[in-house]
Order: sequence, then structure tokens, then C-alpha cells
Amino acid sequence: MKRRRFLKSVATMAVLGTPHLTRAASAFRLGLTPVFLDNDAVVIDRLRSAVSAAIGEPIELIQRRTYQEITAMLLDGSVDAAWICGYPFLQHRERLALIGVPQWRGRPLYQSYLIAGAEDSATELGDFEGGTHAFSDPDSNSGYLVTASDLARAGHAPEAFFSRTIFTYGHRNVVRSVASGLTRSGSVDGYVWESLAQGEPDLTENTRVVAKSEWMGFPPFAARSDRAEAPEVRRFAEILKALHTSDAGQEVLRLLYLDKVRDGDASLFESIALRMADLPERR
Amino acid sequence: MKVVWRAWPVTLRVALATGAMMVLLGLIASQQVLSTLTTLQNDRLREVAQSHVDGLGVALSPFVLHRDVWEVYDALDRAQKANAGERILFTAVADDSGRVLASTDPSRAPIDMEIESLFEDAVPVQDVVAGESGNIVRIREPLFVQGREVGTVLTELDVSDLIAQRRNTSLALLAANTLATLVLGLAGYWVVARLLKPVELLTSHMGALGGTPQPIPDHDIPKSDSTLAQLLFRFNDMVGAIEARSEVERRLADRERFVSLGRLSSSLAHEINNPLGGLLNATDTLRTYPDRPDVVRDAGDILDRGLQHLRDVSQAILDENRRDRSDRPLARADFDDLKLLFEPEAKRLSQTLNWQVNGSDADVREWPSAPIRQIALNLLLNASAAAGKGGNVGLVVGIDSDTFSLIVTDDGPGLSRQAEDRLLSATPLEPGGGVGLRLVRDLVAKLGGEIAVARANAQTSISVRCTAGETDA
Repeated sequence: MKRRRFLKSVATMAVLGTPHLTRAASAFRLGLTPVFLDNDAVVIDRLRSAVSAAIGEPIELIQRRTYQEITAMLLDGSVDAAWICGYPFLQHRERLALIGVPQWRGRPLYQSYLIAGAEDSATELGDFEGGTHAFSDPDSNSGYLVTASDLARAGHAPEAFFSRTIFTYGHRNVVRSVASGLTRSGSVDGYVWESLAQGEPDLTENTRVVAKSEWMGFPPFAARSDRAEAPEVRRFAEILKALHTSDAGQEVLRLLYLDKVRDGDASLFESIALRMADLPERR
Repeated sequence: MKVVWRAWPVTLRVALATGAMMVLLGLIASQQVLSTLTTLQNDRLREVAQSHVDGLGVALSPFVLHRDVWEVYDALDRAQKANAGERILFTAVADDSGRVLASTDPSRAPIDMEIESLFEDAVPVQDVVAGESGNIVRIREPLFVQGREVGTVLTELDVSDLIAQRRNTSLALLAANTLATLVLGLAGYWVVARLLKPVELLTSHMGALGGTPQPIPDHDIPKSDSTLAQLLFRFNDMVGAIEARSEVERRLADRERFVSLGRLSSSLAHEINNPLGGLLNATDTLRTYPDRPDVVRDAGDILDRGLQHLRDVSQAILDENRRDRSDRPLARADFDDLKLLFEPEAKRLSQTLNWQVNGSDADVREWPSAPIRQIALNLLLNASAAAGKGGNVGLVVGIDSDTFSLIVTDDGPGLSRQAEDRLLSATPLEPGGGVGLRLVRDLVAKLGGEIAVARANAQTSISVRCTAGETDA
């Protein structure tokens, strides 16, 4: 009988112990939106290597086509943290916590660019009325919210103002769309456009920046609020903010044209919140 | 042109004919090659087009169904970049309403453009043919999702490489055929020239010197080809035989004159014998009545007439046999001589002689005496023999402007086939026959004249007509 009880308790420990062992062996999962150069396999691979080396564990980078998919994965716990846009961060402000904000050209800020073909004579958003327009993503601040809110302030809806709008689900794709002439104009992340101007000048030289928005909080790294204090999340946040101190980290930052990742707070995103206020239906 | 072609040497003609056949063969072969190449190219093009359209269909149909402009463009753009520098030049995709969703060149086919206005000459994949409308072919194919047509794909393919390949093949074939034709033509010329050299040699010796065959010198006969050498030796033998035969015929012709005289000899003996009786009577009379001057005078007259007649007969015979008279012109006296020679034969056979000679000496002097006399005598003897005892024989000589005519008639049974052949044709003489008529034919031919035979009212008429100035040299 004793022997039977012993075997039973060993079996129970084995069954109960499995999730713990599995959890410990699983990699840290970081969700990536097309906010940066998501098509660049080299950047992604370097980021994975640098973070893995710093954590001492493998890291899994998870990409999805839309902001909405990544945001949903973050909220439902499918990913541990994600590099998202300020717009979805504010949309789910109560459930998300900032774990770092990238610093670009000395500040944790960026702009939205309104771009057109290099030969286009337009000088402002109003000149594009009746044309075709490329947005990045309906949940992107620079790739949708800025232009949509500017139009809302002028009393227009994008679908009515433009003859046709398309979503390319990638800032680089917006530049491709405008550069090829598929659409006359596009709304794009200024950081991405400037990075492309350095990395792929052939692409951006066919486009021209018609207007720039005000400075706004740079797309941040976020985690679910209830998991923000989890050791692996805290550790990941620390690694992010220490990237610029290691050679591998600096290489990643160099490829991303970023200075470093730093602490940030929600006040960085107030201008986005103001624009969201102009689009009540999307809030 | 035909005459010029025939005048060319046979070696050149054979070489040119070989070349022409080579060109024809080359054209047919080239046409076959190009036809096969075109078929292969079109099959290959259709394969490429089908593969391209099928690939696009698989990749694009869901996006076309959802009218996702960016994804359609992105797929097209990536496909275009993957095929950079290759066959696909341009592709546009439209939704089921025919409006462009995206294209590889938005400036050419912007969003919402009517796709119908893009290509009017686009065809389905199975109808694609390379090169019919320049370096580009345009294809139009529907896109399906679960059997439902959701849109259209239009694509332009660059076929310049196929056309260039076809052109290069054509040029290569042309060059190769030209070279082959040239080389084989020259080689054919050389070979044929060598093969036909003996034939040329034979031809030149056959036709030389106005058609009289000449023997080929032994040193010109090739030693390498025994068959040809045998042929050429045989030719030389044949030339020798012809010469021998000509010589025989010439001798026969010469003898014919003696033959005709021989045939006349008995008659001529009578002709000499008959006056001899009278002459002997006259000498008897002179011996009996030497003192009667009137009788002596009459006997002397008889002697004189008889001797003159004998002189005429012997003169005619001498004339007939004299060899150096060939250049003497014809005169009426020639026919008198003939009559003197022939009349006794006619009398012997109790034949009626109708002798009619028209024209003056001046009229007939255009023609030579000897052959005309021989012709007339041979024909008269022939007529006399045909007419038989108691028959009718006639001679009519006339001049009509510049044509001399001689007609000999008889009421015999007519010329046999063999006799007619001898008189009118050049067929070889059959053994046993005379050569008189053949001699007539040869003499008339030399005079450039014609012979005609007619049979009417139980009378045979042989006419000889010679025109002045046509004497065969």
C-alpha cells in the first residue's frame, strides 16, 4: 500500500510538474508590428541574436500582418511583449504598460509624413483630394490617424476625400505604393521614411515629403499591465534599455537607425491622444 | 533564252541544274526546319504563358476576390522583380467588373481603369502565336476562385528572343544553304566536267567539219576509264567504217555511169551497126560504078551522113565518160547528146519517146552539166525499164524563173517501195538493188534540189526541181 501511495505521488508530481518545465523551456515571445522595417530579415535576425545573447535564452520574434493582430496577441497573452504603435497603446491604455521607448535622433519622438510622387506638384493635404491614397494600417498613428484626423478637422472622411484608399500594412509598402505610382499620396512613419532614405535611397527618391506632422511619442515597447512586473518581462525591459551598452545591441540599434531604448511615460503620446479625440468613432 | 540555255556547255547546264535542285531542296528543308521551330517556340511560349497565368491565378485570385489592391500589386511587383529581364513585360489584374485593381506599371494601368481599354489584341493562352504582331504578345485570361470568375489578368510577354532566334536560324539556314549549294554546285561542275570530258570530246569530233565525223586521236582517249576508252575506240572504228562506206558509195556512183552506158551498149551497137550496112553498100556502089559521077556523089553523101552519125554517137559516149567536164555549164546540146544515147534503147524496146526541152542555153547555164546529165540519164533508163516493151517514156525540161525542172514520165507499174526509198530517203541501201536512183538522190541533194514522185492516170512522174544558187558546196 505504501508502495502504491508512493508511486501515485510520484506520478502526480510528474503530471503537475510538466507545465512548469515547459514554461521554463519556452522562449520569450516578442511581437513585432510593421512599424519598422519588418521585411528586413537581417535586422530581425540581429535583434533576435542580440536579445537572446543578453537574456541567455532564445527569444521568439512573432510577426503578424496587422497591428490589430499583434495587439490582440499582446492582450490575450500570446506574446510577452510587443513593439507597437502609440495609437494602439493609447487605445488599450488601461491594459498595457510601457517597458521602453526607442530614442531616435536624440529624442523619443517621431513624425508622420504625407508623401507624394517626386514629380507631384501638391503642397498640402488638400491638393490630394480625389486622388488615390495609401495608408499603412488602420491602427497606425503615423500611417493613418494623423491624416485621418487632419481630414476630420477639415470636415472630411478619408473614403470620401480620396477617390480610393488602400491599406498596405507596412510603412515601407506605403513608400513603394507612392513611388511606383500605384497611389498618388501616402501616409507614412517619418522614422521609416528617413531610415529608407538612408538604406534604400532608390525607393525614396521617387517620393517627396509634402507635409510633416507635429512630433509625437515614438512607437513604444509594451507589455500587458498585469504581467509588467513578471521577472521575464522586467528582465527583457532591462535588456532593451541596455542594448546600447553591448556590441551586439549597438549593431542592432545601428541597423534600426536608433540611438537606444529608454524609459518613457504616457505623456509622450498626448498629441496622439488629441488626434484620437478628433476621431471619436475610432477611439 | 531557251536557245541561250541550250547553247551552254552541258557541264555548266548540269552544274546549274544541280545548283537549282540544291536551292529547291534547301528551301524545302529550311521551310520544314522553320516550321518546326515555330511550332516548338509557340508551344514553349504557351507553356511559359500558361505557367505565368496559372501562377498568378493561384497567388492573386483570393486577393482579387477581396479586391485587395495592395496585395495584388505586391504580388505582381514581386513576380515582376523575380522575372526581371525575362519574358514578362507587364501584367494588369482587374476585378470582375473589369476595373484594374493593380498592374506592374501603375502609370500605364492605374487603379480603376477599364481593363478593356488596355489591350484590344489580347488573346487566350491557347491562341498565343509568337511573332505575329511584333516582339510582344498579349494574353488575356480569366481568374477563377472555386469555379467562379472573379477577375481578369492581362499580360504582355516579350518574344523578341524567339523572333531573333527564328531570324538567326533563317539567316544561318540561308548562309549554310548558299554555301552548300555553292560548294556542291562547284564540286558537281568539276565532277560532271570530268565525267563528260570524253562526251565533249566525242561531240566535238562528231560535229567537226560540217558534220563529218572525225576520228579521235589516240593520245586524247583517256586510259583511266576502260569503258569510255572502249566507247571512243568504237567511235573511231565507226568513223573508219563510215569513211570506207562513203568511199564505196563514191566508187559505186562512178561505176554507175559505166553501168548506164553498159545498159546502152547493145542499143549503141545497133546504132553503129545499122549505118554500117548502108556504108558498106555505098562502098560497093563506088566500086561498081566508079565512072558514074552522079552515083559516086550519092554514095559519097550516104557515106558522109553515116560517118557523121557515127561521129556524133562516139562523141556522145566520149562526153558521157569524160571526167573533166564537171564544171561545164549545162546546155541544150547536153539533152541532144542524151537523146542520141537514149533513143536507140527506146527504139529497141519499141517505146514511144516524148522529148521536150524548153529554154535556151542562157536559161540553163546556171546549172552544171555533168550531174544534170547523170540525173536525166539514170531517170530515163529507170523509166524505160519500167515502161517495158512498147511503153511510153517522156522527158520534159523547163525553166520557170530561177527554177530548173526536169520531169521524167513512164507508163510502167510505178516505183516499188525499195526504189522509192532509194530515190527519196537516206536509208541504207538494201543488198541486191541498183545504185542509180540513190545516185540521183545524192546528186539532187548536192544541187540543193528536191525530188517528187507522182502517180496519176497510170503514169509515173518523177520530177526534179533545182533553184539557182542553192548548190550544196
